[in-house]
Parts: sequence; C-alpha cells; structure tokens
Amino acid sequence: MNTIRLYLHSMRMLIRSQLQYPASFVMQTLAQLVMQGGEMMAVILLVNRFERLNQWSAGDLYFFFGLMSVTFYLTEIFGRGITGNFPFLIRTGQLDTFLVRPRGVLTQVLCSAADPRRITCVAVGIAALVLGCRMSAVQWSAAKVLLMAEAILCGCFLILGLFIIEGIFCIYSVKSVELVNALTYGGRSACEYPVDTFPGPLRILFTAVAPFALVLHQPGSVILGKPLFHWPEWTAFVSPLSGFAVFGITWLCFRRAMRFYRSSGS
Amino acid sequence: MKAYLSAFRMRRKMEMQYRGAVLGGIVCQVFFGLVLIAIYRALYAGKPQPMPLGRISSYVWLQQAFFRMLLASDPDLLDKIRTGSIAYDLCRPLNLYGFYYARILAQKMMGSLLRAVPMLAFAFLLPEGWGLQLPASAAGLAWSLAGLGLGLLCVSALENITMGFTMRTLDSRGMQGMLNMLMMILSGNILPLTLFPDSWQRVITLLPYAQLLDAPIRLYTGDTAPADAPGILLIQLCWVLALTGCGILFWRKNQRRIEIQGG
Repeated sequence: MNTIRLYLHSMRMLIRSQLQYPASFVMQTLAQLVMQGGEMMAVILLVNRFERLNQWSAGDLYFFFGLMSVTFYLTEIFGRGITGNFPFLIRTGQLDTFLVRPRGVLTQVLCSAADPRRITCVAVGIAALVLGCRMSAVQWSAAKVLLMAEAILCGCFLILGLFIIEGIFCIYSVKSVELVNALTYGGRSACEYPVDTFPGPLRILFTAVAPFALVLHQPGSVILGKPLFHWPEWTAFVSPLSGFAVFGITWLCFRRAMRFYRSSGS
Repeated sequence: MKAYLSAFRMRRKMEMQYRGAVLGGIVCQVFFGLVLIAIYRALYAGKPQPMPLGRISSYVWLQQAFFRMLLASDPDLLDKIRTGSIAYDLCRPLNLYGFYYARILAQKMMGSLLRAVPMLAFAFLLPEGWGLQLPASAAGLAWSLAGLGLGLLCVSALENITMGFTMRTLDSRGMQGMLNMLMMILSGNILPLTLFPDSWQRVITLLPYAQLLDAPIRLYTGDTAPADAPGILLIQLCWVLALTGCGILFWRKNQRRIEIQGG
C-alpha cells in the first residue's frame, strides 16, 4: 500500500513539474494531438475506401482503434519511466542511485517519470471509441462497462510488461533496443486492427507471445456483440488476465536480469 | 567545395559505424511492412480496388526500406544549438547551411542505403502479393532512380528548414513532432498516397512531401508512365530549388540574430 502511495505522490509531483512551463507543454501536447489525429485519419481514409475489414464494419474498426489508443497512451502517461526513460537511466548510470535506496528498482523506475503530454492521444482514442460505439450501435450494460475497464487496465499491464522486455535487453546491451520495438510499437500499430486480420504466424504472435488479442480484442469483440473466433462470452472476462501474467513473468525476469547489471555510467 | 565534400564523407563513414543498430532497425521495419501488407490484403479481400495488390505491397516495401531517409535528424547540431557550441561552427570559413546540408545528405543517403539493400533483397524473395515486384519497365526504373536522387535533395532541404526553427526556439520538440508527422502522412509512409481519395491525390502529389518517396515509387511501380516522368522530375526539381532557396535565406536571417548562450 505504501508503494502505491509513493507512486501516486511522485506522479502528482512529476505532472505538476511539467506544467511549470505552460507554453512548451501546450505546444507539445498539441503536437501529440496532430500525431494521433494523423493516425486516426489513416484509419478513416482506409474505411472510406474499403468500407469494411472482414466481418468488421467501420464503427467496429474505430472502436478497436480507440481501445488501443486509450490503453497504449495511458500506459505512456503513467509508465513513462519504463516505456521511455529506462535506456537513458542505464546509459547515464542514474540507475545506480536506485540500487542503494530501500525500494524495488522497478518501483523507483516507475516513479521517475510521467508523460502528461500524451493526454491528447488518449482524447483522440476516446473520441474514436465514442464514434465507434455510436456507429456500431453498442448496447451497453453494467457487465460490458466492467469488461471494458478490465480490458484497459490489463492492457496497460501487458504493455508495461512488453516494455520491461526492452528494459531487460538494455541491461545486457545498451544498443539494439530497436529490435524489441517490433513487439511494443509494432504491436500497437498492428493491433489497432482486430487480430483476425492477420495470417497465422502474426496471429499466434499476438495471441501467445504479446497477447493483445486476448487482452483487448476478445473483450472488444464481445462488447461489439461479435465474439472473436466464436468463443463463449465468459472467456472475455478471463482472457485479459493474461496481461497480468505477461507483466508478472517479465517482472520476475527483470529481477533476475538486475543481478547481472553492471554500471556503465559515470 | 572540397570542404563540403569532406564533411559529406566523414558523416557517411560515421553512419556506417553502428551496424548492430542497423540490424535492429531492419528487423523492426520488416515487421511493420509485413503487418501493413497483411492489413491491406485483408481489406482487398473484402473490396478489390482498381490498383493491383502487388503494386500496394511494392509501395509498402519501398517506403519501409527508405524510412530512414524521412526520419533522421542530426542530433549533433541540436546539441550544439542547445549548448552554444555552434559558435565554433560560426568560426569556420564555410557556409553553415552548406556544411550541414552535406552532413544531413550523407546521413540520409548512407543510412537508408544500408537498410534498403538487405530489406529489398528480402522483399523480392516473398511470394507474389506479399513482396516487392520487379519494376514496371527498365525506363521506369531509370526514371525512379533519378527521382529518388532528387527526393533525397528535397528531404535534406526540408530537414534544414526544420533545423532553422530549432535555432529560433531552442526547445523545438513540439514543432519538430508536428513537422515529422506531417511528413509521415503526406509522404505516404503511414498510408500509401495511392490509397488516399482520388480527389485529394491531385493536390497531395504536388506538395513537397510527395516528392521524397511517393514520386519515385510511382515511377517504379508503373503508376506513373515513363512518358510522364520528365514532368514529375521537373516538379521535384522546382521543389528542390525552392526549398533550398528558402532554407538558405532562413539560415542567413537566423545567423544574423543568433545569440550564443553559455560557454
């Protein structure tokens, strides 16, 4: 409990410190809006030309796009320490100072950075979700709201877990991080579309290795009333938990890898 | 001239150094290419378009292979502007614009060639509808290579204009982010320009961003017939001249009001 309080406290401080330079903050936040808006425009243009993707209508596609955007960028806001700063901490040797403090390394990394500029990306995602729900005429119920919250929460942990893999690579070699970007940023770009778009190998990758399909697409498809692979609806409540599993496994690996950490800093 | 050439050569050698990073970049870019083509294939299965699928996959591969040409900036210069050590550069008996133009040109050329050659070789091996097709004609290939050269000059000039903004504001991350995104969309990296609504294409293909990769790729795939190629190259040439001219003026103006801070 204490750890969570510390984390929330540092988030508050980090976000307040970023707001100290309002002009720069506003400019960068707007830049994020343009960037994510551009991604959204690409989906709109595709839908405009092709109308549908397999069984998914335009509204469904916006919904999946929004679900991914909200999840991914919430993670970037609150998990910036892992999603962005970790290689920097290792390269500069700042990580060493974390080793002498009486808290877990991962906790301190998480507490070390926040990125509130991404808030506009989340806003674009929410707009896409609302648009998608309207166009696909989603019938909301308490269970579906709960399911959506569960999917987003588990999705955040899944993405954190994938970025921790990148961190583990960093511990062994400072460069060559781009390779793992295929899983994180590649996963984001690919899984803005439901997983049945992809041929076998990619489908397995996004179900078994980086389970975006289980965490986001399965609940999403149930909310839209078109369960993926015709699995029964209750599975949608269980499958997102795989996000926690990925986080747990990578967290354990991270702790092991930290034993081999050798400072490169000065 | 010799000084600019040696700046070009130094930078080219430097870009050859990080081969591990190149390999990681290639794997990542190949992955993105496969994902994009899978999406377009699924979309085509629902509603085929007049443009053959093979052309779309060729387009995607060429865009991914030359990705480094679009997004590569000179971090040294950014640092120099921030720390004030750009003062040393001002002492050189060189035109600052020309010096950095040579550097960025070398970086973009070498960076993208190193990645493009293995990626395109890989893409040729993929089956029909997934991989890269042969060029539509020998003439088309020759024209597209010429177009690629002009595109390279164009993107280097664009990059220097972005740098000019950095000199003005110090913290240009917002501006840079926006200009980069504009480039990614309007050059056809996120979505092939050939899939934009037809009425938009008539305007977009005239913008400078379309001259970088879209114009040469269309010449390669045969979307633009070799007979129309001289006109396309003329548009590219106009943009190269216009952007370089604007850049030189912009930098000259910046240099006059530059203030070095720190030491």
